[in-house]
Amino acid sequence: MSTRVYSAAMTGVTPRPVSVEVHLGKTNSKFGLVGLPDTAVREARYRVRAAMASSGYEMPRSEVTVNLAPADLPKAGSAFDLPIALGVLIADGKVSIRHPGVVAVGELALDGRVRSCRGVLAATLVAARRGIPCIVPREMAEEAALVPAVDLYAVGGLSEAVSAVEARSAPSSSRTPAAPTLSFPDMADVRGQEFARRGLEIAAAGRHHLLMSGPPGMGKTMLAKRLPGILPRFSGEEEMEVACVWAAANRRRPVLVRPFRSPHHTASVAGLLGGGSGIPTPGDLSLAHHGVLFLDELGEFPAHLIDSLRQPLEEGLVTITRRGVSVTFPCRALVVAATNPCPCGWSNDTVRQCRCSPASVERYRRRLSGPLLDRFDVRVFLGRMETEEMIGSPGEPSEAVRKRVERAREIQARRGGLNGDLSSAALDSLAWSGKAKRVLAGNIDRGNLTGRGYDRVRRVARTLADLGESEQVDSVHVLEALSYRTSV
Amino acid sequence: MSPAAPPVPYFFHRLRLAYSGLHPERIHTLVEASDPVETVRMIETGRVKAAPAAREAVGVPAERRMEELSSAGVSVVLLGTDPYPPWLAAIPDPPDLLFVRGALPTSVGVAMVGSRRATRYGINLAKAMGAALGRRGAVVVSGLARGIDGAAHQGVVEAGGRGVAVLGCGLDRWYPVSHRRLGEALLENGGGVVSEYPPGTVPEPWRFPVRNRIITGLSRVVLVVEAAAGGGALISARLGLEQGREVVAIPGDIDRATSRGCNELIRDGAMPVLGTADMLELLEQECIIDPLEVGRRESGPGDAKGGLEEAIGETGATLEVLAERMGWPLTRLLVSVGELESEGRISRESGVIRLRRGRGSDG
Repeated sequence: MSTRVYSAAMTGVTPRPVSVEVHLGKTNSKFGLVGLPDTAVREARYRVRAAMASSGYEMPRSEVTVNLAPADLPKAGSAFDLPIALGVLIADGKVSIRHPGVVAVGELALDGRVRSCRGVLAATLVAARRGIPCIVPREMAEEAALVPAVDLYAVGGLSEAVSAVEARSAPSSSRTPAAPTLSFPDMADVRGQEFARRGLEIAAAGRHHLLMSGPPGMGKTMLAKRLPGILPRFSGEEEMEVACVWAAANRRRPVLVRPFRSPHHTASVAGLLGGGSGIPTPGDLSLAHHGVLFLDELGEFPAHLIDSLRQPLEEGLVTITRRGVSVTFPCRALVVAATNPCPCGWSNDTVRQCRCSPASVERYRRRLSGPLLDRFDVRVFLGRMETEEMIGSPGEPSEAVRKRVERAREIQARRGGLNGDLSSAALDSLAWSGKAKRVLAGNIDRGNLTGRGYDRVRRVARTLADLGESEQVDSVHVLEALSYRTSV
Repeated sequence: MSPAAPPVPYFFHRLRLAYSGLHPERIHTLVEASDPVETVRMIETGRVKAAPAAREAVGVPAERRMEELSSAGVSVVLLGTDPYPPWLAAIPDPPDLLFVRGALPTSVGVAMVGSRRATRYGINLAKAMGAALGRRGAVVVSGLARGIDGAAHQGVVEAGGRGVAVLGCGLDRWYPVSHRRLGEALLENGGGVVSEYPPGTVPEPWRFPVRNRIITGLSRVVLVVEAAAGGGALISARLGLEQGREVVAIPGDIDRATSRGCNELIRDGAMPVLGTADMLELLEQECIIDPLEVGRRESGPGDAKGGLEEAIGETGATLEVLAERMGWPLTRLLVSVGELESEGRISRESGVIRLRRGRGSDG
């Protein structure tokens, strides 16, 4: 007996092939299913039996044993219905397979229709790697189409799947989905706040984490929501990585759109970093991979939650270990945090009085310092706007900003990495004009810059030079970079 | 008006009484009724109601207290003796003893008072005023509290001027703790920290209004920078009036609760102060500062940045405001601001850019 039907399961963000082995025994009709199935998988036999009957196929009268190999990998969900049905039909000789092998995913309805299910992306990836066709539910064709160079059969029912296995129908080759119609809110909606807008552009261009502070109602959240819209368009690889993370979380998302996650400050560590019972699933941090993680009201986040973000952000990876299962998710997210200067938000305002006790203000600010805060290269303060600003003309549209960001990123790519990730050593080896060096040295001498602050300013200065398409970092870039260090 | 120096034994007994932790007014009443020696005895024997701790504290010999004080670097000055400022001695209820770190002022000062929960408007003005007064050599007296008090002394320190902080607790601690650096900077600049309470006295809410009479007592002019109606700063203003001080106030928007106190003072006759120039003129009239010593003019920068410094002004400005005042594109503004900061001429905090004077003038 040789297995030719496969499906897939996700461990972390890695799709693993699962072979569907079917053995037909001699004894009376029994249906055994092994290979660490969960309840949904175990119930597949009822759906398979009914769907086969409805589609005009008879269940073998002999004992049927289905093994989902590797046997020690937990399987979950209803995606195994279709491969099991196909495996049984092939083993019984009712269907002859005309491919070297086939990957199939899909939940079966009792009437033989194929329903959408999780794990489509994983299956398509497995198929791509093995160079065999993939059968997916029709409703999930778009997600599967993200994977290039796979023969796809998008099917609506069991009989269609059978004809695909028998190569009686032609596969649709995967194609790049059309650009998303869904778009982000536009930067043009933001009036005034020129300084913060510039900060946003720098953050996007160099992938610098961004901290916005200021009283409520000044547009912090509004600006943060517009950040994905000025990030460069997805590359195929990035899209794939993001799709895998979301698939691991069993979440659907609009394709080709940069993720924007905004966890609440009451979120758990598992919700933020990933975890959960059984196979660990990615948290908001990883779901924001290649997108934006927005931490609104940063001061309200408990310290341990903020601290837990630091290491994953530095490494770009988060590793979760649960009951011996260790899974690593990518998390190259751009972190944007917003905070009020004090609990009530009005400390230091020109018009309104702060109602907080001085001690509570201090406590609040103390929480806003520490190791993670050092990672915010760009810090902007959004102050009260002048009336003219508020009723003034609309701002520059996202499209125009994104063009500049994309250009700056191209320049960085030629150097080999994003400026937000530059280490001290890498910064030293960059091209700095003599004047720029003097300005930096002068600021250190005056005690204006600490060691970490020095690196932050240099990273931002490099991005400013890239935005200005300047080969060398000049003094003007350094001088401007000094502005993005405002304390809360 | 200032009473003759009391005999030395009384000094010791008064010192012991100070450690009782009782309300200064209560001590005063008891001493008036008999004398310090009798009062100490009454507290020790329990004839005067006092906490056991107070009774014990009074029992400690004054010699030991003096040793403790000298090892803590705190001197104690008796009312009517030499370094005790005569203008303080002249108020209706001067403290018998002053505990001092640093130097007691040799000239009459200017009190700067205001709300602890100040707005940025008040903070900016307090700093600017403090700096202007400090530069001209006026002694700025304040309470080292949060808000206006701290900002005023911050301005003084940044300008390299002298300030006196009057605390509502013992001199063995700073209150609030966050102002420790500020207090130490005052001492380094030749200023002083004063309290009528001996070291070991913890800050209790009632002690602060009581010490306000010392703040105004050390001053001839009381400047209320920002005060809401019914705030502690208004207590200082009232005390100042009772002591015959010139009370002046900085006006604010009339529809803002945080300016209500100041505006009411002005309505009731306090002179409105509309800028540092007003204040300096008043102080010249009051002979607190020397009109001949013209303040060091800013080393007039004739370049483009000079205009920027003017636009920042005395109260500081945000980037948005500067962009509007200068009409420059944002990047140019940011670069110029960066230059000023690199030269140490400005400081930034919570998005506000302020001029720094005194220390950074070499740039």
